[in-house]
Amino acid sequence: MRLTIYIVRRLLFAFLLMVGVSLIIFFLVNAVGDPIELMMAETPGVSAETIERMKVHYGLDQDPLTRYFIWLGKLLSLDFGTSIIYNQPVGSLIATWGWQTFKIQVPAILIALAIAIFVGTTAARRQHSRTDFAVMSGALLGQSLPAFFLGILLILIFSYTFDVLPSYGAYSTRGYLWGSVVADGLWHMVLPVAMLAFFNTATLTLLMRSNMVDVLKLDFIAAARASGIPERRVVYRHALRVAVIPVLTYLGLLVGLMLGTAPVTETVFTWPGLGYLYVTAIHQLDYPIIMGASMVIAAMLIAATTLTDIAYVLIDPRIRLE
Amino acid sequence: MLEPVRSAAASDPLLTVRNLSKSYPVTRSGLLRKKIVGTIDAVKEVSFSVHAGETLSIVGESGCGKTTTARSILNLVAPTSGEIQYQGRDVVKTFATGGREDALALRRQMQYVFQDPYLSLNPRWSVRQILREPLRIHRRGEPATWDDQIEHLLARVGLPASYADRYPHEFSGGQRQRIGIARALAVEPRLLICDEPVSSLDVSVRAQILNLLADLQDDLGLSYLYISHDLGSVRFLSRRVAVMYLGTIVEIGDVDAIFDRPRHHYTAALLSAIPVPDPTRVATAKGVRGEAPSVTERPRGCPFHTRCPAALPVCRDEMPALVPSDPDHKLACHNPR
Repeated sequence: MRLTIYIVRRLLFAFLLMVGVSLIIFFLVNAVGDPIELMMAETPGVSAETIERMKVHYGLDQDPLTRYFIWLGKLLSLDFGTSIIYNQPVGSLIATWGWQTFKIQVPAILIALAIAIFVGTTAARRQHSRTDFAVMSGALLGQSLPAFFLGILLILIFSYTFDVLPSYGAYSTRGYLWGSVVADGLWHMVLPVAMLAFFNTATLTLLMRSNMVDVLKLDFIAAARASGIPERRVVYRHALRVAVIPVLTYLGLLVGLMLGTAPVTETVFTWPGLGYLYVTAIHQLDYPIIMGASMVIAAMLIAATTLTDIAYVLIDPRIRLE
Repeated sequence: MLEPVRSAAASDPLLTVRNLSKSYPVTRSGLLRKKIVGTIDAVKEVSFSVHAGETLSIVGESGCGKTTTARSILNLVAPTSGEIQYQGRDVVKTFATGGREDALALRRQMQYVFQDPYLSLNPRWSVRQILREPLRIHRRGEPATWDDQIEHLLARVGLPASYADRYPHEFSGGQRQRIGIARALAVEPRLLICDEPVSSLDVSVRAQILNLLADLQDDLGLSYLYISHDLGSVRFLSRRVAVMYLGTIVEIGDVDAIFDRPRHHYTAALLSAIPVPDPTRVATAKGVRGEAPSVTERPRGCPFHTRCPAALPVCRDEMPALVPSDPDHKLACHNPR
């Protein structure tokens, strides 16, 4: 019963947060200026009447507060408006381009998790050894390297020097690899996934290692060893389940953050994902897309943290609900 | 004069520890590599034995090497040097280079009970999973019998069978320690190494656990190596006691003899620090002067000479050997009381 109240309260809070975010997004974009005037200012020979007509067409002649409520009302029915540049509904644009983002982010996170669990655990088992030092240095480098730098490096090596992997796009424009859509798609995914996985791995490995180091010092591990349980089983059966919890928590956040990291990756690889759509929309002042995509990114983050909080309470009965 | 010949079984000790030492390197990080600049002797040349069915206690302040000694025996800490024998079997060698089956066979003989029952039980595992693990590793009967065995183990330590599917956080400290003891008993060991099993428990619960340990010893004929700084429990549980100071044994022998008439000045100071539960009595504990030196700066000579009220010049230079002073009593002191 307390659990139900907790979940309802958490969801209500998430909703209020979304309303707050929508206010900020709308008025920030609005503060940039009237998009029609900004766009037309650089286009010579457009009459004042045309500008006026376009403002009426996009509903920009009304006052900001009215526009906000119209926008919010449509949002509630999942209507994000129509893109100025693409002249398509923003909702379907976000869905198609968002799928491309999902396609590279989810494999990257899963690969990173698998590597982080193994490498972080190995480093923790040999704390202060050379292996540990190498892992820590590598992870630290991975965390501090600018994201675009690694992307450009990958392109330079694998696309330019050796010419084995494509440097941009999700599919070949002239003929698929081996004549297969699937193979061609996977082939194009390699570099962006590798870059994203690298950064996720760095953070997750450090987290995994430090948790495992702490857990391996606990007495229930000594107890397992004293029972004669083989070391591999001690580490992977007894310790891992305890040590991996904070990593999984962080993973929840990472899923929420994936749209936040998408713009850089997708710009470097010209990947037709939500991040790329977002960045080009900002360049072109396509404000329905800017606002819609911002709302989706915020919603993903809020959903991820809310679900993580709820899952935590469900998984760990020791967390008291006050 | 001829010593009376006793049967071999009665006189041969179960566990013999000879000159056990554990040292840790002290390193300083250089530019490229760490340099070893010295060593810390956590345990230095410790010798004792435990006979079948008896309890040997090791007492001393925290940091004196009691736990390191206890953990070395089960190879939870690898000893630096020294010999450990269990019924003639070389323990150090078996754990270091012996086969897995030989190591398991040794672990079936010797089990460990940990100090803090809040840290020694896996928080994600139910009691059943915790108790099943040793049964599985040591292949104790058919898997179908494990549930019965678990029920039996719980009964043995005074817990109802219905607790098997609960998790550690649902229990009190005393109940958790009972689970820890049940886990140690799962493989039917002959020797239990109990590392301060009651020191993290409430005083009211301590007596229950101590009584449980005493009952188990009577029923199962267990031997205990009992590590503690609680001298009251030592007298209750054991026949012989070893007093440790800065990694060495300074006095070892019969509990009553040592408690009634300590020969080493450190033992005397330790005993005078026992609080007497009598409000009318004025505290007379003289205690020990100063702090125990850190093991990183172990004094030359007798480790206790810096605080000893009866130190002689020789104590500063020469480490006293642990030699028999009375029958069943050994002492390492140049100027005993």
